[in-house]
Amino acid sequence: MDDLRYMEMPVDQDTKISASNVQIYYGDNQAIKDVNVEIADKTVTAFIGPSGCGKSTFLRCLNRMNDTIDICRVEGTIKIDGDDIYDNAVDPVQLRAKVGMVFQKPNPFPKSIYDNVAYGPKVHGLAKSKADLDVIVEKALRRGAIWDEVKDRLHAPGTGLSGGQQQRLCIARAVATEPEVLLMDEPCSALDPIATAQVEELIDELRQSYSLVIVTHSMQQAARVSQRTAFFHLGNLVEFGDTSQIFTNPQDSRTESYITGRIG
Amino acid sequence: MSDQQHIVSAYDRDLEGVMVAIMKMGGLVEDSILKSAQALETRDLELAAEVRAADKRIDELEEKINDEAARLIALRAPMGRDLRTVLSVIKISGALERIGDYTKNMAKRTAVLAEVQAVNGAPASVRRMAREVEAMLREALDAYVRQDAALAQAVILRDEDVDQMYNSLFRNFLTYMMEDPRNITSCMHLQFIAKNVERMGDHVTSICEQVIYQVTGEMPDDERPKVAGDPYDPASVTED
Repeated sequence: MDDLRYMEMPVDQDTKISASNVQIYYGDNQAIKDVNVEIADKTVTAFIGPSGCGKSTFLRCLNRMNDTIDICRVEGTIKIDGDDIYDNAVDPVQLRAKVGMVFQKPNPFPKSIYDNVAYGPKVHGLAKSKADLDVIVEKALRRGAIWDEVKDRLHAPGTGLSGGQQQRLCIARAVATEPEVLLMDEPCSALDPIATAQVEELIDELRQSYSLVIVTHSMQQAARVSQRTAFFHLGNLVEFGDTSQIFTNPQDSRTESYITGRIG
Repeated sequence: MSDQQHIVSAYDRDLEGVMVAIMKMGGLVEDSILKSAQALETRDLELAAEVRAADKRIDELEEKINDEAARLIALRAPMGRDLRTVLSVIKISGALERIGDYTKNMAKRTAVLAEVQAVNGAPASVRRMAREVEAMLREALDAYVRQDAALAQAVILRDEDVDQMYNSLFRNFLTYMMEDPRNITSCMHLQFIAKNVERMGDHVTSICEQVIYQVTGEMPDDERPKVAGDPYDPASVTED
C-alpha cells in the first residue's frame, strides 16, 4: 500500500485462491465468463457489481456450494494453496470446513449459542473432550467479537439474539472449524448501521488470520473493509485491483460508470 | 464530464452547479487581472477601487464552492471521476482566490504608485505580462470546461513565457534603481507587483494540473525545464 496508512497491516503477497478460465453455467445460461483471478492470503477481497452480475455465483463456487444446484456446471480450475478444489479426491464437506461461509441473512441453528458454535468442531472431530470443546467455543466466540455479550447465556437459543449478534454468532460458527478462507455473501445487508460497523471491525480483525472474500452491494462497505476489489459485470470480471485505485481511479469505463452511480 | 448521466439526476445537477460556480469565479478573476493591470498603467484609482471590491465577491464564491464541495462529499460520497471533480474544485477555487488576492494587492499598490515618480515603461511591461497570464487563465478555464487535458498541458508550457518576462523585468528594475535612487520606491512596488503576476501564472499552472488530474486520474509529474537566467537560481546569475 503506497499511501499514508502506515498503521495498516500490509496486503499479503501470497496467493491463497487462484482461479483460471472459470466458466459457470446454469443450464444453458452462462453466469460467469472466463474469469481469472488470484486472491491473496490475509486480505479482504471485495466482489462488487450490479445484481445478477455473477459475483455471488463465483463466490459460491469457491467452496463448491454450487454443487448443491443440479443444473449448475463449473469449468476451469480453482485452486486453493495450489490444490484443485474440484478434483475428484476432494471431499466437499472437508473443503467447506476449510472455506467457511457467512450468508446474507443470519441463520443460526435453532439450538443454543454454545451448540451453534460447537456443532462444526464436533462433526469434524476437532475436540477430544468437553473441556476441549469449551475452549474452542470460547475462542470462536471471542474471534466473532460476541463473547462478552453472550458468555453469561451460552445455553440460551441462538435465535434469540439481535440480528447483528446473530450474524456475529454465524461468523463465530464459521471460524470455529479453523477455516483458512472465509466467504461472506452480503453479510451486513440485513443489519443496522451499528451492527454493520461491528461486523466490519470484525472483518478487519479476521484479516490477520484468514483470506476473506466478501460480496457486497454497498460500495461504501467494499471501500471501507477491503484491500482488493473485483468488479463483475454481466458475468465478466471487468476490473480487479487495489481498492483505493478502483474507487479513485478505475481504469475501465464500466467500473467508473458503476461506482459513480451511472449504471446499475 | 462523463457523457453518461447519473441514475440520481440531482447528483448531476449538484456537480454541474459547483463547476458553473468555478467558471463564474474564473470570469471574475480574469476581469480583475485585466482591470488591475490597466489601472496600474493608466493610474486609474477608480478602476483600482473596483478591483478591490471585486475581490470580496471572489472570496465569497470560494467559500460557497468549498461549502458545496463538503456537502457533496457528505451527501453523495463521490467516487472515481466524480470524487476527482469535487477534490479539484476545492483546489481550483483556492488557486483562483489567490490570484484574486494578487490583483487586489496590485490595486492597492497602484494607489501608492500614483503618488510617486513614474518609472518609464515599466507599468506597460507589467500589463503585458498580466495580459499573458489572463490569456493563460482563459485557456485553463476552457480546458476545464471541455475537460481537455492536452490543452491544459499546453497552458502549463506557456507559463515559461511569463517567467521569462518576469526575469527581464527584474533586471530592468535593478538597472533603474542603480541609475537613480529616487526610483527605488516605485521600483520596489513594481517589483512586488511583477513577482505577484508571475505567481498568478504559477496558480494558473496548478489549475491546469487539476484539470489533468481530473481527466486522467494522475497528476502531471514532468517538471517544466528551468528558465535560463532565473534570478533565484544562483547557477544562472551572470557576473556583471
